[in-house]
Amino acid sequence: MKKTNRNKNLKIAAFAAVILIFIATALFAKVLAENARMETNLDEYMPRDHPAFIYSDQAEEWFNIKDGILIAVEHRESIYNPSTLEKIKQISIGLIEMPQFEEADVMSLYTADNIIGSEYDLVVTSFYTEVPGTKEGLEKLRKDVRDNEMVFERIVSGDEKAGLIIAGMDSDAFTQEFYNDIMDFAYSFANGEENIYVAGRPIVEGTMALLGPADMKRMVPVVLLVIAIVLYALLRSLRASIATLLGVFISTVWAFGLMAALGIPIYSVTTMIPVMLIAIGVAYGIYFYNHLGRYKLDNRDTTDLQALKYTLKILWKPLSMAAFTTMVGFLSLLSSQVYPIKYFGTFTAFGIFTAFVLAMIFLPAAVILLGFSPPKKARKSNSSGLLSILNRLTDRLLKNKRRVYIVTSVIIIISIAGLTRVWINSSFLDNFEKDSDIVQTDAFVNEKFGGTSSLNVILESGNEDAFKDPDILKLIDRMQTEATKLPEVGNSFSLADYLKRMNKVMNTDDEAYFTIPESREMVAQYLLLYEMSGDPENLDQVVNYHYDRANVTFQLKGDDSRTINAALAVIEKFTDDFGKHDVKINFAGSGYKALVFTSLILEGQVMSIGISLILVFILLSILFRSIKAGLIGAVPITITALISFGVMGILNIPLSTTTALLSSIAIGIGIDYAIHFIQHYRMNLQKSATGVKALYTTMGQTGKAILYNAVVVISGFLVLLFSVFPPNRTLGALVSMNMFTSLAGTLSVMMILLFTFRVFRSETLNQNNK
Amino acid sequence: MKTLTLISIILLAASFSGLQPLNAQTTGHEVMEKVYHNPTGDDMQSELTMTLINARGERRTRELKQFIKTEDDVEKKIMFFLSPADVRNTSFMNFSYTDGSDDDQWIYLPALRRVRRISSDDKSDYFMGSDFTYDDLGERHPNEDEHVLIKEETIDGHDCYVVESTPKDSSYMYSKTVTWVMKDSYLGLKREFYDRNGDLLKVLSIKEFDQIDGFWTILETEMHNVQRNHRTVMSIKDVEYNTGIPDSQFTERMMTRGL
Repeated sequence: MKKTNRNKNLKIAAFAAVILIFIATALFAKVLAENARMETNLDEYMPRDHPAFIYSDQAEEWFNIKDGILIAVEHRESIYNPSTLEKIKQISIGLIEMPQFEEADVMSLYTADNIIGSEYDLVVTSFYTEVPGTKEGLEKLRKDVRDNEMVFERIVSGDEKAGLIIAGMDSDAFTQEFYNDIMDFAYSFANGEENIYVAGRPIVEGTMALLGPADMKRMVPVVLLVIAIVLYALLRSLRASIATLLGVFISTVWAFGLMAALGIPIYSVTTMIPVMLIAIGVAYGIYFYNHLGRYKLDNRDTTDLQALKYTLKILWKPLSMAAFTTMVGFLSLLSSQVYPIKYFGTFTAFGIFTAFVLAMIFLPAAVILLGFSPPKKARKSNSSGLLSILNRLTDRLLKNKRRVYIVTSVIIIISIAGLTRVWINSSFLDNFEKDSDIVQTDAFVNEKFGGTSSLNVILESGNEDAFKDPDILKLIDRMQTEATKLPEVGNSFSLADYLKRMNKVMNTDDEAYFTIPESREMVAQYLLLYEMSGDPENLDQVVNYHYDRANVTFQLKGDDSRTINAALAVIEKFTDDFGKHDVKINFAGSGYKALVFTSLILEGQVMSIGISLILVFILLSILFRSIKAGLIGAVPITITALISFGVMGILNIPLSTTTALLSSIAIGIGIDYAIHFIQHYRMNLQKSATGVKALYTTMGQTGKAILYNAVVVISGFLVLLFSVFPPNRTLGALVSMNMFTSLAGTLSVMMILLFTFRVFRSETLNQNNK
Repeated sequence: MKTLTLISIILLAASFSGLQPLNAQTTGHEVMEKVYHNPTGDDMQSELTMTLINARGERRTRELKQFIKTEDDVEKKIMFFLSPADVRNTSFMNFSYTDGSDDDQWIYLPALRRVRRISSDDKSDYFMGSDFTYDDLGERHPNEDEHVLIKEETIDGHDCYVVESTPKDSSYMYSKTVTWVMKDSYLGLKREFYDRNGDLLKVLSIKEFDQIDGFWTILETEMHNVQRNHRTVMSIKDVEYNTGIPDSQFTERMMTRGL
C-alpha cells in the first residue's frame, strides 16, 4: 500500500515536473518567437568602446565614409554607346531615389563632376546629362573621360568596356528586403548587350549574414535526424532517444528564449550555441541511459525506481562537476571584448545548466512516467562485443605506453608548429565558394576598377589649415603613389587629387602641372575656386572645414587581412615624415575595423583558453582533492585545443569568429569526458580489488558512454560537410575533429596517465587499510 | 533674373504703398508682387560675413567687401575677399541679366594673377559651399509661381501673411516654398523650401533687419538645411546705399587691383 502510494505520488511529481518544464519551454518559445531578432549588421559585433572603433566611427562620420554597393555595367565592345550610357544614367537616378542612398553618396559617370578649363576659364560640369545622340558626341565624352584622371580607371574601366556606379550606404540600412530590391533593380538592367555585376562590402556582408543562417536552417534538421538515427542505433530505445533529443531541444529553446527575453539579438556566432548544446545534451542522455540500462541488466529484478535512484546517485557527482566546470569554461569567454562572444559564452553556460537540470529532473521523470526497458539479449552480445574491443584497446594501450607518449608528443609538436602558422582572416569574401557569383563579380570589379574594398587613412594635424601646406600635400601624394605600387592597391583618392587636377586644367592641360601647387595661397585659391564653381560637398569627403583633418581613401583588391596589412605596412612608413609636420596617421573604415576586430577575437580566444585551462585545473584539483588529477584531467583539453589550432594552421584555415569559438567547444567537450572518466575511475577504485580492474571497468562503462557520445555527435556534424556554405562545412569538420581528439585524448593518454601516476590509489589504499 | 543681391534674399525695403493695409481680397500673388517690387536702391555696398556651419558645428568664415549696382537689364556685382588671409584679394564678379540669359561670372586669383571666367551650368548649385543656391540669392519673379495666401500669422511679434508658392515649372528644384511676409514692411521674415519629394529641405530666417538710408535692409539671415543639418549665416555691416558707384568699378581691371 505504502509503496504504491509513494509510487503514485512520485508519478504525480514527475508528471508535474514534465508539465512545468513544457510550460516553461512554451513560454521561452513564445518570447523567442515574439522578440527574436537576427543581427546582420556586422558593426554591431564590434566593441563600441575600443579606441580603434571609436576613432573609426568618428572618422566615418567626419568624412561621410560609407561602404559602397558597386554596380558595374559591362558592354562587350565599349560603354560609349547610347544604350549603356542610358543604363548608367538610369541606375544612378534609380539609386538616388532609393531611401537608403543620399544624392551625394551615388557616384558614377552620370553624377561625376568634370573639372575642365583653359587659360581663360574653369568649368565644373557633368560628363553628360542627356546621352549624346551623335557619334561625335560619344567620341567627345570618351575623350573627356580619358583626359580626366579623377574618373578614368575609377568609374570607367581602362579598357572602356565597363562603367561603375558606386552607392555608399549606412551599414544598418541593410535588410533582406533591401538586398532583394537592389538585386532586382540592378539585374533589371541586365538585358540587351550589357552585363550587370553587383559587388561591394554591404552585399558581401549581407549575403553572408543571410546565407549562413539560411544554410544552417536547412542543415540542422538533417543533422538532428542523423543524430536521432545514430542515437537510436546505440541506445536501442525510442523513448530514450526521443527524451534525449527533447532535452537538447528544450535547453536550446531556454537559452535562446532567455536571450530574446533580455532583448539580446541573435548574432551569427550565437548559432554556435546549439552545436555545443547538442554535444552536451546527447552526452548527458547517453550517460544517463547507459547507467540506467546497465543497472537494470545487472539487477534483473529491480524496479525502475531503484534503477533511477542508483543512476542519479552515481551520476550526480560527475555530471554536476562536469556541468559546473564546462560552464566555468564558457563563462571565461566573458573576458572577450567582443559582445557577441560574451553572449555566446554566457548563454551556452546557461544552456549547459539547463541540460544538467534536465538530465537530473526531466530524464528521470520521463522514465517514471513512461518506463524504460534496457536493451536485451541481442544488444547484449553487441555491447559485450564492444566491451571486449575496449578491453583489448586498454590492454594494447597499457602495454604500449611509451608509444602512446611518443605519438602524442609528435602530434603535439606538429600541432605547435601548425599553431605558429595560424592566421586571422577578417575577409568576408573568403567565406564563399571560389566559383560563386559573389566571388566572380568581385573579381570582375577588381580586375576592371580600383578595388571592391577600401581603407581610409585619416590624417590629423594640430594646426588649422595644415592641409593647405604644399609640403604636407606632396607627402600625401607620395604616400598615395607608393601605396598604389602594390598590386593589391588599385587606386587612391584625396585632396591632392583635386589640387593636381585643378593645377593641370588651369595650365592648359599641361601634364607638367599635374602636381601639387607650389604655394599655400595657390592651394587655398584653387580650393576656393572649386567651391565657387563645383560641388563643394565633394570636398567634405577629403578634408574638413578647418583643413586640419584629411581623409585618403585607398581601393584594395581584397578584404583579407594579408591585403590590408600589406597596404598598412607601406602607409605606416610615412608616419615619421608626417610626424615632422605635426600630422598624425590613423586608420578607419570597415575593412580596417574588421582587421582589428579579428585580432581582438584571437586575443580574446587565447586569453579565454588560458583562463579555461587554469580554471579547469584548479576546479579539478579541488573537486578530486588531487593536484595530479587536476593536471591529468587538463590533458585531453590541452591536446584538443592544440590539435584544433594546429590543424587550422597546417590546412591554412584562417581563424575567424566561428572557427575561433570552436576551441571553446573543444574545451567544453574535453572537460566533460575527462571528468566522467576520472570520477568513475575513482568510484570503481573503491569497489575494485586492483587499479587495473577499476581501469578496465571504467573503460567498459564510461569509455563506452564517451565513445557513443562522440559517435553520435560526429556523425551528426559530418552532415555539415554537405553544406553549400563553406564556413558551415569548416564548422562541421572541425567540430567532428575536436570530438574525436577529445575522445582519443581521454581514452588513451589521459587513461594511461591516470593509471601510471597512481592517481587516487594511495588514498584509496589508505582508506581500505583503515 | 536678378541674381545675388545678398541682402535682397527675399525682399527688401519698404515701399510706401506697403504701409497701407491690404483689403480683404488680398491674394498671395499681390503679396509677392509687393515683396518683389520693394525698392532696393540703385547701388549698394557693404561688408559681408559668410559663416558656414556644418553638422558637427565646425565653422568656416569668410569676409568680403561687396559692391552691387542695379541697372535696367543687368545687376552687376563685385566682391573682394578680406579673409581668410590666404585668399585675400581674390575677387569675384557677377553680371546677372534680367532677360533670363546665363549669368557671366569671373574670378581673379591673386596667386595665378589672371582673371578667369567660371561657369556653373546649374542655378540649383550652391553658392560657395553655402546653403544658398544661386537661385535662392536672386529674386524670383512672382510670375514664375502660383501663389496662395494660406493664412495670416504673428511670429516674433510681427503680423505676417503666409504665402505658399508652387512653381509653374514642375522640374524646378523646389516643389514649393512657404513665405512669411511682414504686413508692415513687405519684408519676408521666414521661408521654408520643400524638396521635390515634398519634404522640408531648408528654412530661411531673418535674424536682424533695419531701415538704412530709407531702405529696409536685412542685416543677418540664416539658411538652415534641415536634411543635412548644415547652416549658413550671412550678415552685412557698413551698408551704404546710392553712393553712385561708377560702372568702371565692375571691370576685370578692378578685379585685379584688389581693395
